[in-house]
Amino acid sequence: MIEFNNISKNYGLTKALTDVSFSVKKGEIIGFVGPNGAGKTTAMKIITTYTAPSAGTATVGKYDVQKNPLEVRNLIGYLPESVPLYDEMLVSEYLEFIGNARHLNGKLKKRFDWVVQACGLETMLNRKIGFLSKGFRQRTCLAQALIHDPEVLILDEPTSGLDPIQIISIRNMIKELAHEKTIILSTHILPEVSNISDRILVINKGKLVADGTFQELIQQVSKHSSIYLAVKTSKKDFENGIRNIPEIKDITFDHATKRGVTGAHLYYSGKIDMIKKLNEIIQNYKWEVIEFHPEKLSLENTFIRLTQSHEPEKQAETGGKKL
Amino acid sequence: MRDIAIIFKREFQSYFFSPIAYVFSIIFIFLNTSIYMFHFFLLRNADMRSFFSTLPLVLGVIFIPAISMRLWSEEKKLGTIELILTLPTKTEHIVLGKYLAGYAFYLIALAGTLTIPIILVILGKPDFGPMMGGYLGAILLGGFFMSIGIFISSFFSDQIVSLIITSLVCGFLTLIGWQYVPMLIDGWIPGLGTFLDKYIGVSRHFNDIERGVLDIKSIIYFLSFTILFLFLNVKILERRKY
Repeated sequence: MIEFNNISKNYGLTKALTDVSFSVKKGEIIGFVGPNGAGKTTAMKIITTYTAPSAGTATVGKYDVQKNPLEVRNLIGYLPESVPLYDEMLVSEYLEFIGNARHLNGKLKKRFDWVVQACGLETMLNRKIGFLSKGFRQRTCLAQALIHDPEVLILDEPTSGLDPIQIISIRNMIKELAHEKTIILSTHILPEVSNISDRILVINKGKLVADGTFQELIQQVSKHSSIYLAVKTSKKDFENGIRNIPEIKDITFDHATKRGVTGAHLYYSGKIDMIKKLNEIIQNYKWEVIEFHPEKLSLENTFIRLTQSHEPEKQAETGGKKL
Repeated sequence: MRDIAIIFKREFQSYFFSPIAYVFSIIFIFLNTSIYMFHFFLLRNADMRSFFSTLPLVLGVIFIPAISMRLWSEEKKLGTIELILTLPTKTEHIVLGKYLAGYAFYLIALAGTLTIPIILVILGKPDFGPMMGGYLGAILLGGFFMSIGIFISSFFSDQIVSLIITSLVCGFLTLIGWQYVPMLIDGWIPGLGTFLDKYIGVSRHFNDIERGVLDIKSIIYFLSFTILFLFLNVKILERRKY
């Protein structure tokens, strides 16, 4: 349904996207994840035809975003991150304006009624948009994205700034639309993507660093397994000991340990019995163990490991495919 | 055509929620009629020459920039440009819808000055030719300045910046043909003042029409420059460098 082929986008000297490629099948829900400024919004703006790519091609349906923008726009419903609305208009006026601009003609009444009910806007129709709460603004903007029953929904941070109840309500709504429509949603709220999305695309510094299901991403990151070790010794002695195990690729020191105790997350790769190796070191150095256990990567840790890697190309392998 | 009407309707209605548009309309009518009335009571002539002689400057420096500044700048500031440019509507239809809305608002304000010819008809026997010519000139000139205004507003998200730049450009186009200004420029760089007045400035063309001389060259001047700036506006938006 959506094809992104070697897309790059530059803003002057700043590279917002570099050679990004991915495809989205019909009915899939894709979670776009990445830190602020990673390039998620730029990628979405290219899909919606708002921004032209500097290089590469993108298609929605069978239409090229640059050659057939009007056909692409007909297929897409778009909720921008900033929730832009005309404050002086009534909610009903605004939805009618969008419905007319999207050429709904005879279907307008039916679609208007559906979208008002689906977005829970019944009581707000005669209220000026400028007087709406953040939650209702979000719903009004979502309603304009849905009014023409689009095949593709592009939702940029759909729950940002909402309270927990509103987040659940928007999330449920996206779930209801799932598999009926192709949905791309960007967020940095991780439970959101793992709950809703079929697939996750992780984007960092304008590059796609991972593409796969949530489980695949965890497996990918877990190739670099982690163990937490805290012992009574100095940092220098700790480092000397750990240096004897070349399989340990990375050490993140825990600064919250007590005085005289050195603790660290030890990341290693390869199928080796790391616990045994560490035990040998502990015995050799006669360290008193305070804490020692393998770590299961949390959602947040997975995200951090993926986006803070200095070697994104190496991490881009998921489920046997190279991006 | 229907798409233009949809955009026009929304844009035109929004003018009536904008206090700035009201304020400038009142200033426009008040300024023009008060300047005119001063000359009218002084010279006791039943014509509108003094009204139309100051109109290009009032239009170009104050009124048109004030109503054209919001056309794109506000959309950029609110972020609504992102939604309007992703509607399945051709960019030229959006530009035309917005342009016509601003233009229609101007024509309503201009219609507010029709009290002057009505008073003249009641009090004396005015010559209708120059009066009709003056209004035709004002209609064409307003359209031209509005196209400059909408074009400039597509570059800035700050309405005040759009207002100032439009004001400077329209003021420049008016002043280069204003009374003795071309001769003054000729004094510095021989031939430049006459060239600017003849081919670029609005005053000569406006004055021709205002005198009742319906020179096709002047009409083509206004229409072609209006179309040029609307075309450039479409091209700027279609670059989609956001």
